[in-house]
Amino acid sequence: MSDGALNYQDLGRKLLTGFYGTLNALKLYPVENETVQQALTDLHNLVERIVKVDGSAEIRVVGDFFFLNETRLRLDVTNFATFGSFASALTAHGIGGVEVVNGVQRAEWAPLLAMLLRPPAGEDPFASFMERFAQTPVEHIDLKPATEVEDPKDDEEALTAAKRTYAQSVKVAQEVMGDMRIGRAVNVRKVKRAVQGIVDQVLSNESSMVTMTTLRDFDEYTFTHCVNVSIFSVIIGQRLGLERMQLYELGLGALFHDIGKQRLPAEVINKAGALTDEEWALLKEHPTEGLLLLFQMHGFTDVPYRQMLMAYEHHMKIDLTGYPANTREREPTLFSRIVSVADAFDAGTSVRSYQYEPWPPDAVLQEMRDNPNRGFDKLLVKVLITATGVYPVGTLVILDTHELAIVSHVNPNPDLLHRPKVRVISDPVGLPLPEPKTIDLAASDPSTGAPVHQIIKTTDPQKYGIRVSDYLIA
Amino acid sequence: MSEPLDPATPPDETLDWDEDQLPVEAVRSLFVTLGKAFRAFQLYDENNPVRQRFVETLKNEFVALWQDMDKLVVSMDEDHIYLGGAEVYRSESRNDSLAFLFFKDGVREVTFLPGLEENELDQFLGVLQKARKLVPEGDDLLTVLWEEELVHFQYQYVDLLAEGVALPEAGGGNSGEELQAALKAEDEEIAAAEEQGAAGAAADTPQTVKQDDFNPTLYVLDPRDMETLRAELHKEMKRDIRTDVLKALFDRLEEPTDRERQSEVLGILDTLLPNFLSRGGLIAATNVLRELRRLEQIQGMFDEEGLAKSRDILEAISAPEAIEELIRALYDGTIKVSSAQLGGFLQFLLGGALAPLLRESETVEHRELQGVLRKAVQGIADRNREALVRLLGEDDPLLASAAARLAGEMQITQAAPALAKLLVHADPRVRLAAIDAAIALKASTVAGALEKTLEDTEREVRIAAARALGELRYLPAARTLSGIIRGKRIRTADVTEKLAVFEAYGQTAQGDGVGLLDQLLNKKGLLGNKESSEIRAAAALGLGRIAGPEARASLERATQDEDPVVRSNVNRALRQED
Repeated sequence: MSDGALNYQDLGRKLLTGFYGTLNALKLYPVENETVQQALTDLHNLVERIVKVDGSAEIRVVGDFFFLNETRLRLDVTNFATFGSFASALTAHGIGGVEVVNGVQRAEWAPLLAMLLRPPAGEDPFASFMERFAQTPVEHIDLKPATEVEDPKDDEEALTAAKRTYAQSVKVAQEVMGDMRIGRAVNVRKVKRAVQGIVDQVLSNESSMVTMTTLRDFDEYTFTHCVNVSIFSVIIGQRLGLERMQLYELGLGALFHDIGKQRLPAEVINKAGALTDEEWALLKEHPTEGLLLLFQMHGFTDVPYRQMLMAYEHHMKIDLTGYPANTREREPTLFSRIVSVADAFDAGTSVRSYQYEPWPPDAVLQEMRDNPNRGFDKLLVKVLITATGVYPVGTLVILDTHELAIVSHVNPNPDLLHRPKVRVISDPVGLPLPEPKTIDLAASDPSTGAPVHQIIKTTDPQKYGIRVSDYLIA
Repeated sequence: MSEPLDPATPPDETLDWDEDQLPVEAVRSLFVTLGKAFRAFQLYDENNPVRQRFVETLKNEFVALWQDMDKLVVSMDEDHIYLGGAEVYRSESRNDSLAFLFFKDGVREVTFLPGLEENELDQFLGVLQKARKLVPEGDDLLTVLWEEELVHFQYQYVDLLAEGVALPEAGGGNSGEELQAALKAEDEEIAAAEEQGAAGAAADTPQTVKQDDFNPTLYVLDPRDMETLRAELHKEMKRDIRTDVLKALFDRLEEPTDRERQSEVLGILDTLLPNFLSRGGLIAATNVLRELRRLEQIQGMFDEEGLAKSRDILEAISAPEAIEELIRALYDGTIKVSSAQLGGFLQFLLGGALAPLLRESETVEHRELQGVLRKAVQGIADRNREALVRLLGEDDPLLASAAARLAGEMQITQAAPALAKLLVHADPRVRLAAIDAAIALKASTVAGALEKTLEDTEREVRIAAARALGELRYLPAARTLSGIIRGKRIRTADVTEKLAVFEAYGQTAQGDGVGLLDQLLNKKGLLGNKESSEIRAAAALGLGRIAGPEARASLERATQDEDPVVRSNVNRALRQED
């Protein structure tokens, strides 16, 4: 049992920052340097504090998360880069966990950290690391391979859970929209459970939930889009350090962001071709209609003001152009701006009514980031990119081998956001592989340090008659 | 971790117990205590010793149990809870059944962890209590448990709401020639672009990866970005989102081209006002009232229906019941605002608010609040004079008297007839207030009625009436006053009343009164006796209220009177004359 007096979140964050800082100091200075020595002392003191109470301190990397003993550490904008860098330092050597037991000496840290700074060696970096590690005088620090500390839920299990949450959320979105359209009371507990499910899934296995957003034809766009926006909003919110209940508030508002469309004629909403000016004018009313419609939704503990604003403001640009127009002074809420970014990303990458061809995800991100006329909060777009990577999951790419591949996982290291994991689906001449293989584009050639594989081009799945989700959710 | 169960795995199969080793009796006892603590939680508040005793016992049983177990995992059906295969809880009725409370919302297995008793027991019992009271259209146990985020209590559940949901399935992918053809075409495009590039042409193949894409400054958050985002988040959590919603509503309300929407927004505002007030949002409520009043004054902003709706909102919030609620909220602390903020709200109220505010302004002990209320009352009364006059007919003596005083202070001449009626009100406080108002109004219609009040049953009323008549110099009253002075009753009255009546007589009768007063001051009666000291002193003061040489001469004759009381009052009266 852990002592309730220890604040693991706080200690964990300090500990990771300590590791990161000491590694950086060792990169710059020799071990005798005062800065390095101070960093080692601070790190050692922190670990000792935990070990004294719990008997041991274990830092584990599980998927995108760090655990300190049994506590999962919360990421936010102030620490995710630190966490990511340290995670990369460990996983590059195939290390999934560091366990420190009672009796650890300050002198044991430098050898471990210095070894982490060296490039990984051999085909089995963990074995190679351990071989060298065994020759050091370190006695109270044990290292565990990444495979041994994988999330108890394996990928398949996580994906099944994500599928269940996604399907249920889409069904709830469909029911809510239908109920609102005919003026029937909404089943609030279903809505809550769906959003709570999205939050739980994002917190426990963000990557599997992102994968679900690549399902473009699981149901009508209107419903899947709402769920996708909810997922991306929660992902952004998580990176901003929102608490679990705040993520729920955000996810709920994102799910309802387009609810106002239920008050518009279905033939406008589902129109296949371009809209007339009159139809556009009508469509632009959906944020206001959403605001008004949410006043009719009862059963929540409080009036869903925040959600109303997300519905109302999600098409307002950062300079307050966009729609609806404002007479009174206004600054869209942070939550509304998050939804706006999530909405644009999902809408831009989707095939939907009254719109052109979908853009490749990386191009959508680039446009959102670089075109000020789009009016997005630039920082939030950056946050989204840290979550999706430069090439978001589901992006179809051509590798320098001329193989066709689909981005399947984002690289958690912020410096390597352009080197995701991909599933190669064809050989260089376009022959489909019988079994897609996953490769990590972050992998580099130990002799040259150059990446083994690179993306040379992103492309349009429709051109290839591909449903990217077929290769990701299988 | 609390999570849904795989529907294919019955909960029991997830348990791995050596049943002979399980402390079944201890767990049975613990659930009996948990049941009692749960009931106590529903019946008693947190300071109740019965509740505290059960919770304490429960704590102790958990502590004892952790000597034998690292965690307690139990499964349940509708009416039973099981530890391994052993029944540890059974309920006869589902009303208070712990098993049913869990089971009905899908919970099939729960785990208690050490630490619950120390850190989360009250919270856990609170969840159970909340779950029992839930309504079908709102939360269920699972949503409540999720929100509470208990660390030492975990649960597994069957997601009843997810039944029948089809999971997405992957397709087989594209294995046709289309793939090869497309890739070939794209390869050719890339090659062409590379050739162009080599030849110095600037054209890029769309979506070809460029070095710029990897420039981390474009997508990595630097410390300044992080600081900005942190500040944004902080601001977001602090901001008054109700105001933002209101601004949105008013922006849309201010669109006279869409009457239907205006009507909907007005309906929403009507619902929101009490909601704001119940949450202490007086400032938000003030904004609503201010905007409504502003928009009402813009020509063509509302059609007739809209205008009526807007008026209805203002009238509803000004209704006595609403104001009484507001006052209650101010006292119980639901609404915490400054005097200026309260005044800001009250200024928009209509006549309906007058009665409760006026009543409160009369009784409130808090000086500052009283000042705010009085100012607001005056403002409302000024805009709603008829409403104030109507209040003079109220049965409530406090209200009628406050309204009377206010009518006087505000010089509301239309109030005179109603004030005259109040002079015969059953409650002397009301009669007194009406007299005060009559003085303030200087209304002759009221003065006529005041004469009758000189014979009131209450001394204070009689005195006030006399003084009022004197102050008003209402000449017709001299005759009545003269009758009183000559009568017997005044001789047994106390000195204050005597003085009031005699001075009033002097003020109303003037020169015509000198004879009577001189007689009382200076002359002896039939039996050669002079009047009593008090009567003679009062007569002197009455003469002091009369201008002219006769009155002065009468007073001067008494300056050497043997009676010191008379002498002193004569001198006082002479000074008044000067």
